[in-house]
Amino acid sequence: MSVSNDREEAPGGAADREQGAAGQPLLSLSDVEKSFPGVKALRGVRFDLRAGEVHALMGENGAGKSTLMKIITGVYQPDSGEMRVSGEPVSVPDPRAAQALGIGIIHQELFLMNHLTAAQNIFIGREPRKGFGLFVDEQQMRADADALFRRMKVDIDPDVEVGTLTVARQQLVEIAKALSFNSRVLIMDEPTSALNETEVEHLFAIIEDLKRQGVGIVYITHKMDEVKRIADRVTVMRDGQYIDTLPAATTDMATIISLMVGRELADSTRAEGRGAEEEVLRVEGLNRGQVIRNVSFSLRRGEILGFAGLMGAGRTEVARAIFGADPIDSGEITIHGRRQAISSPKDAVALGLAYLSEDRKHFGLVTGMSVSDNITMASWRRFTKGRVFMDDARLREASKDYVARLKVKTPSVFQETRLLSGGNQQKVVIAKWLLRDCDILIFDEPTRGIDIGAKAEIYKLLQGLAAQGKSIIVISSELPEVLRLSHRILVMCEGRITGELDGREATQESIMHLATLRPSIAAE
Amino acid sequence: MKKILTATVFALSAATMFSTAAKAEEVYFPIIAKGFSHQFWQAVKAGAEQAAKDNGVTITFEGPETEAQIDKQTDILNAAIAKKPQGLGFAALDSQAQVPALQKAADAGIPIVAFDSGVDSDLPLTTCTTDNVNAAGAAADKMAEAIGGEGKIAAEIHDQTSATGIGRRDGFLNRIKEKYPKIEVVEVQYANDALKAADDIKAMLQAHPDIKGIFASNEGAAIGLSVAIKETGAKIVGIGYDSGKTQKDAIMDGTLYGSITQNPVGIGQCVVNSLAKAVKGEKLEKIIDTGYYWYDKTNMNDPKVAAVLYD
Amino acid sequence: MTDITLEQAGAKKSSLFSTAALQKGVAFVVLIALLAFFSIFTENFAAWNNMVNIMQATAVNGVLGVAVTFVIISGGIDLAVGTMMTLTAVMAGLVLTNLGMPLPVGIAAALASGGVMGLISGSAIAKLKIPPFIATLGMMQISRGLALVFSGAKPIYFNSTPNYKYLSPESSISSLIPGFEVPNGVFIMFGVAIAASIVLNRSLFGRYIFALGSNEEAARLSGVNVDFWKILTYALSGAICGVAGLLISSRLNSAQPALGLGYELDAIAAVVIGGTSLSGGRGTILGTIIGAFIMSVLTNGLRSMGVQEEWKIVVTGVIIMVAVFVDIILRRRA
Repeated sequence: MSVSNDREEAPGGAADREQGAAGQPLLSLSDVEKSFPGVKALRGVRFDLRAGEVHALMGENGAGKSTLMKIITGVYQPDSGEMRVSGEPVSVPDPRAAQALGIGIIHQELFLMNHLTAAQNIFIGREPRKGFGLFVDEQQMRADADALFRRMKVDIDPDVEVGTLTVARQQLVEIAKALSFNSRVLIMDEPTSALNETEVEHLFAIIEDLKRQGVGIVYITHKMDEVKRIADRVTVMRDGQYIDTLPAATTDMATIISLMVGRELADSTRAEGRGAEEEVLRVEGLNRGQVIRNVSFSLRRGEILGFAGLMGAGRTEVARAIFGADPIDSGEITIHGRRQAISSPKDAVALGLAYLSEDRKHFGLVTGMSVSDNITMASWRRFTKGRVFMDDARLREASKDYVARLKVKTPSVFQETRLLSGGNQQKVVIAKWLLRDCDILIFDEPTRGIDIGAKAEIYKLLQGLAAQGKSIIVISSELPEVLRLSHRILVMCEGRITGELDGREATQESIMHLATLRPSIAAE
Repeated sequence: MKKILTATVFALSAATMFSTAAKAEEVYFPIIAKGFSHQFWQAVKAGAEQAAKDNGVTITFEGPETEAQIDKQTDILNAAIAKKPQGLGFAALDSQAQVPALQKAADAGIPIVAFDSGVDSDLPLTTCTTDNVNAAGAAADKMAEAIGGEGKIAAEIHDQTSATGIGRRDGFLNRIKEKYPKIEVVEVQYANDALKAADDIKAMLQAHPDIKGIFASNEGAAIGLSVAIKETGAKIVGIGYDSGKTQKDAIMDGTLYGSITQNPVGIGQCVVNSLAKAVKGEKLEKIIDTGYYWYDKTNMNDPKVAAVLYD
Repeated sequence: MTDITLEQAGAKKSSLFSTAALQKGVAFVVLIALLAFFSIFTENFAAWNNMVNIMQATAVNGVLGVAVTFVIISGGIDLAVGTMMTLTAVMAGLVLTNLGMPLPVGIAAALASGGVMGLISGSAIAKLKIPPFIATLGMMQISRGLALVFSGAKPIYFNSTPNYKYLSPESSISSLIPGFEVPNGVFIMFGVAIAASIVLNRSLFGRYIFALGSNEEAARLSGVNVDFWKILTYALSGAICGVAGLLISSRLNSAQPALGLGYELDAIAAVVIGGTSLSGGRGTILGTIIGAFIMSVLTNGLRSMGVQEEWKIVVTGVIIMVAVFVDIILRRRA
């Protein structure tokens, strides 16, 4: 396969020659342009997908991947450019048209109706009918769903209520739904972001299977190792432009990353070890039902403590419990040497604790309010005249100060936070807690949804905060992130702490070993 | 769970405390009105209770919250029939819709007396009612007399679908049309509460500054009329319907010219007396007109009139 | 220095074109258009005393609208405002007429009883986690029932308190400016609206109301005492209903216990027409007042034109839908 051909000629032509008798590529786009008010989202983008291929699409957030996918699936209309399916020029005025053309998409956030069964979800709007079309033929629908699941080699009961399934299995239902349209093109948008290792393996097996059946898969991801594992080709986009298409097998990660960010990334460094500092937080015997079981640990001044583990290991639950967001059954929390009863986030904040949720849009930010309002929200009481009226001038000054200190990129402090990028939103949340004088910061997935380029900046910010004497807990599912940031690493599995590792000595393997040390299995 | 149980038991026992359920072995008549919070119904209730005392029977007096809730009234009716009473008083919100429910009562041999407005059926033994058409016609005569038999007038009606609303409107309008060709009715509007009626009438007066008189078809409309006249200072003849303290005061101080009142106390007495007679097997007239009174400054303190007025 | 001026310019521009401001603008344009339409096509509409009529007709709905605006911005709903208004009027009547207390005590009784009812709704919502729709639906019935119980299902008259009429229908200003016969109730409505605007936009409480409506969970995790502010919001709404109770009973010179049902929907309609989002976090008092004016101009104007009652209701419904549709269009574009 010749990469240079791909780059020099229209995708259709190149694929023609390579696929020979197979004829046209499944899907090809050329010279796609799309503008939104004030923004040129896509410029001269091209992309093609062959039958039985996994084609990874990579790029930082804002590179134009989602816009391109929305054009393919008929959500957006391109300003110009051509789209062909099996060589035929097509127009896709709406998502229904895309389905009719055999294009299916698995969104990163799943769109399933939790209270309906798997079969009902798959065939919603297209239910097989009986009795003059007045009744749903439940039996037929169940059989069809079952056939789909069998084709995917998964074991899901078509009658199960979707809400009771794990996220991974819900995703399989989504895939079955996409396949039920006889999709020949399947777009997967970060399909593994909520899956654990075993589930990822299972998904990959299904993808391999689909490949053999001739389905072409567009695979959007941020994860390099997945690209290596599963993709045949990689297309990189940056700033709304097509950059390059490369064979996955022979391209190294550094090349891809430098294409994505347009510059070389500084090599990842490990955290410096720290000497003995005073203990600021001690947690002893924390319990909450089955999700937190006898968790004890301590945090020192200026320390970054990593919490590693698989999804559902109980790390977020521990953080929320310490913060008073969820009730606990038992346990003692000592802050700065004093035992404290924390029954609500209000108590926790008063003690200098801050929790930065992974789900910034739901728990971290009031996205409809301004940068200034968000930065000052936890401190509003301090910015009043006579405790009643807001002192907007001081409010503005304080938020401007933090915008400058944390280098938040925003046109003004009055900008609505929903218009900021993920990295800058995270900085706004951090600013909120710094302004509130919090000195124990708990970060839950601090770089989720943040560009690779901005990640490094967040890392530097956290390390700087620790150096200034703030104490930080980092909960992360990305092992390189935990390894890079943490002075000390605690690993959890099934609600327990299964081990502690020194940040300098830990490896991905040693963490994974502890993360899968399932006490429930060991006990049986 | 325990909490919920305690709360439920508490709520139910509280409800029992407020209820006036009939004791066994007594002659019991449920009286179902079109409402209960309006002063008119309170007066009917007073008359019914008085008659119940005289006849030595037990009654309950119920009604839906608003006069639009035909379905709720039907529920109340069904519940009352289920108690197997010796007789039933009923003021139908809809003259046809509730006939099937009444049929059940008739089938069970329960004597029915209709009141206030009739039912399109032979089921009720009698109907105690004011002839609204006739009474509103009398209001039209008074209006014509007061404005000198010519000029523009308007009407504010409390409801466009109920029998009383239609009867009073048509009774008033038809009498004007038939007898007073020089009087022109420029507006007929509808509002079901006093505040809305007041703003309505002020807008009417604005649109037609030469209006000489306005007829308001029930207590709420009449309050609205008196508020509107006071606030605008308009020199018009205001004629109301029913009574109530605001309306009486307005007549006393000259804001309103006068009003028609039904005989609500008489209606209440008529219902219970007729039921008592029916239980004894006496024959009843098909319709009992409980009458109406015209009242104004001059006769309000006449004991015969004062007895049927309520605050 | 240049940076700052640029920033400020940017901010000004964005607030001018923000959706809330636009919606308010649209509502205002609709109001002006309606006024112009009726002035041209209806005799006597444009007269000054008819404008006074319209203002007076707006007072009660305007004040109730302000009460609901707070709750709706905070992400809730209050279906009890109409019947709470009735209950507060009855309470004022009990205190003034039955107990013979002086006028200020009666005013305090109306405001306090409204506040307490709101406090109860708010506590049920914040502490017992009953959804606002259900909790205030319950409160609607509770306050309606209590109004009937306390009044003995009879109107209470204010004849023993002659000064009571100064709360609404009398015009104090006409003694200062002869001929300027604007009733006190209108000034009270504007006073309530201005005070409410200041609370909403300038106070700490107001800022929390917006934060609650935009993202309650984020506010909670920021250490905000969410329950407290939520309860306070409903209590404030209840107290404002007390103002409406005083206005309506002063104008009718009586507390009518059977009145009040349906007023909550008119109030919510005014809020929605005024561009406040039913999903919370967005809205203005000015918009609500404009919305209330649109409704009463429509009622008055259609009445003056002699449009049938039935069609008046239809037109009002259409206007509500159009207003919300415009809101959706504007938000989609933003």
